[in-house]
Amino acid sequence: MDSLIQFAQQDLGNPGLAALLSNPSFAFIQLMNSFSQAMNLFIIAAGLSLIFGVLRVINFAHGAFYMFGAYIVYSVAQEWTGNFWLGVAAAGLGLAVMAVVIERGLFQYIYDKEHLMQLLLTFAVVLILSDVAKIIWGTDQYSVSYPASMKGAVDLGVTFYPTYRLFLIVVGPAIAIGLWLFTERTRFGRLTRAATQDREMLSALGVNVPIIYTGVFILGSVLAGIGGGLAAPFNSPTPGMDATIIVDCFVIVIVGGLGSIWGSFIGAIIYGLVFNYGSVIVPNWQDVFPFLILLAVLLVRPWGLFGKPEGGNA
Amino acid sequence: MRRSLLVATAAAAVLTAGAVQADEIRIGVLYPIAGTGAVYGEPAMHGHNMAVDELNAAGGILGKKIVSFARDTKLKPAAASAAAKELITKDGVNVLVGGLSSAVGLAISEVARQEGVVYVATIPKTIKLTTEKRHDHVFRTASHTDFEGDAMGQIVAKLGLKKICDIQLDYAYGHDLAAGIEKGLKRHAPGAEKVLDLRVKLGATDYNAFISQIMGAGCDGVTSGLWGSHFVNFAQQGSPFGLFNQIKYISGGEIASHEIAGKMKGDYPDNVWSNTYELWYHHHDPSHVAFQEALAERSGTKETAMWPVLAYIGVKFIAAAAEKAGSMDADALAAALKGMSIDTPVGPRTIDPETHQADTGQFWGPMVKKEGVDYRVMDPVTFIPAVIEE
Repeated sequence: MDSLIQFAQQDLGNPGLAALLSNPSFAFIQLMNSFSQAMNLFIIAAGLSLIFGVLRVINFAHGAFYMFGAYIVYSVAQEWTGNFWLGVAAAGLGLAVMAVVIERGLFQYIYDKEHLMQLLLTFAVVLILSDVAKIIWGTDQYSVSYPASMKGAVDLGVTFYPTYRLFLIVVGPAIAIGLWLFTERTRFGRLTRAATQDREMLSALGVNVPIIYTGVFILGSVLAGIGGGLAAPFNSPTPGMDATIIVDCFVIVIVGGLGSIWGSFIGAIIYGLVFNYGSVIVPNWQDVFPFLILLAVLLVRPWGLFGKPEGGNA
Repeated sequence: MRRSLLVATAAAAVLTAGAVQADEIRIGVLYPIAGTGAVYGEPAMHGHNMAVDELNAAGGILGKKIVSFARDTKLKPAAASAAAKELITKDGVNVLVGGLSSAVGLAISEVARQEGVVYVATIPKTIKLTTEKRHDHVFRTASHTDFEGDAMGQIVAKLGLKKICDIQLDYAYGHDLAAGIEKGLKRHAPGAEKVLDLRVKLGATDYNAFISQIMGAGCDGVTSGLWGSHFVNFAQQGSPFGLFNQIKYISGGEIASHEIAGKMKGDYPDNVWSNTYELWYHHHDPSHVAFQEALAERSGTKETAMWPVLAYIGVKFIAAAAEKAGSMDADALAAALKGMSIDTPVGPRTIDPETHQADTGQFWGPMVKKEGVDYRVMDPVTFIPAVIEE
């Protein structure tokens, strides 16, 4: 091990790698950082993936939904009530309302249109929402406080780790399991799966497909809102945050396979690991990481790790 | 008949346009007005418009009315470059002012060089603008990365810090500030050793990987230039780790400005020493009181941002130079700007005739809690002049 550390430090001239090898608690913290970042991204990406899986619409406005979640938490938690959890609940609720309006008012008309039309419409929504956010919240960068009970750090034996980050590590898998139970074990979930297979047949069987679509769109959007709300304490609500997150989410969803919950989960973890260890070992390549993962997966398995090849979904 | 009428109308329009142009001074203004950068561009425009209105109320420049043509730089060099070209060719502006972000400043400067139009850079800080990329027509009224780095070296020495971690944004400003700090440390704190160099991409939102590296490196001081929301995110992510109890955080990038402190309030971390061009609550120069009153009215709050004064000073320099030159001709204006001195709300400023750089010092100090207000203030405020003593 010592010779390995020396090799990293001297022969490779890589102090980051040497630090990881020589300091187990540092390596451990990076692992925890990977998971907490991944879990926050997963919550948002899962919503994007869910919406695509059922509605077959790539919703570019998903990042804007995330931004609205963060802003709503700022207003409700920081400005009005002082209660962070109330803020997150309001973010979820607010996004549910927005989702109904946007799905019924706009998206329902484009399900049968070609992808370019869908792209243009969702992109138009991005532009509109970013201006609406600017009108409501201005252009300042806000700061949202951590919930009072989670300001500090927990002693994990090896090292201290921020309580709030641990909370994210727990809440991510909980949401993943919840979504899985929902799609696999509930009637509504079974209908949504059926809708992804054959919406016309489902409709012929007397199922109200539009309601399923609206429901799924609400669920996906609420995930974006809650994801944004939970990110607000460490991700300052600010104009432009929508553009950053949507790129990360697309990478995760494409790596995991569009439409797959567990795909997004694993995709997010891969993203977190590559980002956090990569930033230490090859810091100059930070910008490239997400796209390297994307490239690798697209070359080997273009439909994503957990996805199904197009046309072969029988 | 109809055609000749059209031609006549067009000719009249051209004539009128020409006549109007001769009667007015056209200033091309380049700030990020919409989108992400508007948080800086909007207040900057307040300062710009305030200076223009003041000058127009007093008869304009050379007896002519000043008209501003503002275009959005979108914080992008390519957009800024295109906007600058349009301002010159389409709007026929006499002079360019503004720029926000070092990369944008360099892009505008390049257009100014090609087109032979004077550009007064009010905000970009990369040292290159007034060293290797300097040309006859570029002048800077902002501070620069060598001044900033030198001041940070002084603070490191003052606080007696020994092991320094440096974390910078990975673009022109961050690179040049790192070099400026390096020189500042050599001059003022030769005993301090830099133990860690970190580069974060512009617009990054997740800093945990870097925070744990800093905490593991055993440094007692962190030097940085993470500005705006970069700093907010870095602080929010570092605080739960106890980062700010372990180190002194010495930062350029004006995170001591009130728009950061006033927004972060109780979340603003301990042990931060930083800079700002201006503080609404600190009257360094007697004229600052009146300036703040006028600005408060325009901004709708008395807790104003730092950016307006920068844009304001840029316009005032242009006006003073034009009066001295007696014309808006680019070469005459450039000649007048060399060595030009004016009084500003934050004290007198002089542009060096050789380097085209104004001696723009900044206010530095620790950000402390204060009885009766819920945001941090700089106390004590120290003005570190723009002087580098070898």
